[in-house]
Amino acid sequence: MDNTRTTSKIQELTYELKIKDVMIKNIKTVNSEMSICSLGDFLKKNRITGVPVVNEDELVGLISIEDFINCIKNQDKDAIINDKMTTNIETLYEDEPLVHAITKFDKSGFGRFPIISRKNKKLVGIITKSDIIRGILKKLETAYHDEEERRYRASHIFNDIVADEVFFKFQYDVEAKNFDKAGEAATGLKKTLYRLGLSPEIVRRAAISTYEAEINIVSYTDGGKITAYLEPHQIRIVITDIGPGIPDVEKAMKPGFSNAPGWIRELGFGAGMGLPNIKKFTDKMTLRSTVAKGTRLVIIIKLSDYRNGD
Amino acid sequence: MVNLKDIVQKLDLKVVSGDIDREVSGGYSSDLLSDVIANAQKDNIWITLQTHINIVAVANLQELAGIILVNGRQPEEITLKKAEQENIPLLLTELSTFEIVGKLYELGIHGNKG
Amino acid sequence: MKLIKIQELLEAEAVTGKYDPEIEIEIGCSSDLMSEILAYGKPNSVLLTSLNNIQVINTANVADIGVVCFVMGKIPDDKMINLAKINNITLLTTILTTFESCGRLYKNGLKSCSYLD
Repeated sequence: MDNTRTTSKIQELTYELKIKDVMIKNIKTVNSEMSICSLGDFLKKNRITGVPVVNEDELVGLISIEDFINCIKNQDKDAIINDKMTTNIETLYEDEPLVHAITKFDKSGFGRFPIISRKNKKLVGIITKSDIIRGILKKLETAYHDEEERRYRASHIFNDIVADEVFFKFQYDVEAKNFDKAGEAATGLKKTLYRLGLSPEIVRRAAISTYEAEINIVSYTDGGKITAYLEPHQIRIVITDIGPGIPDVEKAMKPGFSNAPGWIRELGFGAGMGLPNIKKFTDKMTLRSTVAKGTRLVIIIKLSDYRNGD
Repeated sequence: MVNLKDIVQKLDLKVVSGDIDREVSGGYSSDLLSDVIANAQKDNIWITLQTHINIVAVANLQELAGIILVNGRQPEEITLKKAEQENIPLLLTELSTFEIVGKLYELGIHGNKG
Repeated sequence: MKLIKIQELLEAEAVTGKYDPEIEIEIGCSSDLMSEILAYGKPNSVLLTSLNNIQVINTANVADIGVVCFVMGKIPDDKMINLAKINNITLLTTILTTFESCGRLYKNGLKSCSYLD
């Protein structure tokens, strides 16, 4: 980022942000009858260097730690706030842009300004230079995160990349018979697709169908691979395994058909619903199998939009 | 005790086998046969989505009042044959496990106490 | 139905620690076969199951099911609890049976997921 751009971004923010966005709202106030000695304790206790003076809801002045120090220096210990406070105070409205506060700080040399409501002129907050810096930094951080998220979105990436063919490839190895690790590919893919900004419904369909395919690899084969390709208009998932193959593909696709061994059934699978489920959640499904060699399943989920639900 | 005939009528269950004039002591819902063998009690009505022939053997063993197959499932042919042979009531519903159990519960059939 | 209400009706304990009791759960579903849940389960539901292994958590995760209640006093192991926490899934456990749990929730107005949808 070059310097001029940074400067202008901050300048932009000082117009965009309102005083009420950065001011301190839960403010302490003091009464003008308070003694200067008590003021010292009050400032110390609240860790502040100045405080608005309010009598019956009305802002009457401002008193700071400097006024307190001057009193001590002059041995003026019996004074009350009313004698020492600044009454010639300048205020700002809460709905003014931040830049007004900055200009006022520059001109006046004051350390703080009370903020009042335009409606009833009541005190609603206080602002110091450090509140302004904190507010701008916070806004910059949010803006940076938003920009990062936006850049990450799959739709955005596809729009930015210039090529005749673009896809992202995510590959997962699936171990045979390892029921503890089964599901890691599907949940990994789910997280990845979601992070890339695909809609929750699309992500869910891809995750469920991949999960069923993964369970099949773990349950029936000697291991395999799941490779997902995120393309501009679809997700294509290729599932291959080394295994016994499926002798009768048509029969295997029938809901309820299963030759699952007992251990799979007791684990909550093997009811002959896996392949029908994959079909249910995908737009296209192609299954090719060679007995004693393995099975290749290709599923496609079309993308209607890329965004996370919003 | 609730009569199975009343249940069939009130919940619009389709009877495909067995004599339904019998009493139901409570309900048990599970899709794991080993769990049913371990925990179902005599005269329970069993709710499951399993259609495998082994469900008849389990119902027989536990002397269950009947089996309700959920989510529109049809018993396998061999299961049906066996159920007829053993006089086990097989009942069908389009409803989910959650819903049919809920409706049975409203008829006064409760789960077994642990 | 608020999650806290479900917990009360089922006399259930939360095993994943802190959770938001105000979460609205719209649908109840129950099965011990995970493919059934994958097929008909809906987001915003509570899954009641007696199956107790890591695949229950994976199933809830891929199907966007936020709450799982294990019945008959089954307590998930640490690996399951950790996986659930990472994926923001609340795990409950009750001593009631599946039948009693479904019955109580249905009677108190929780809706069911359906294969007819």
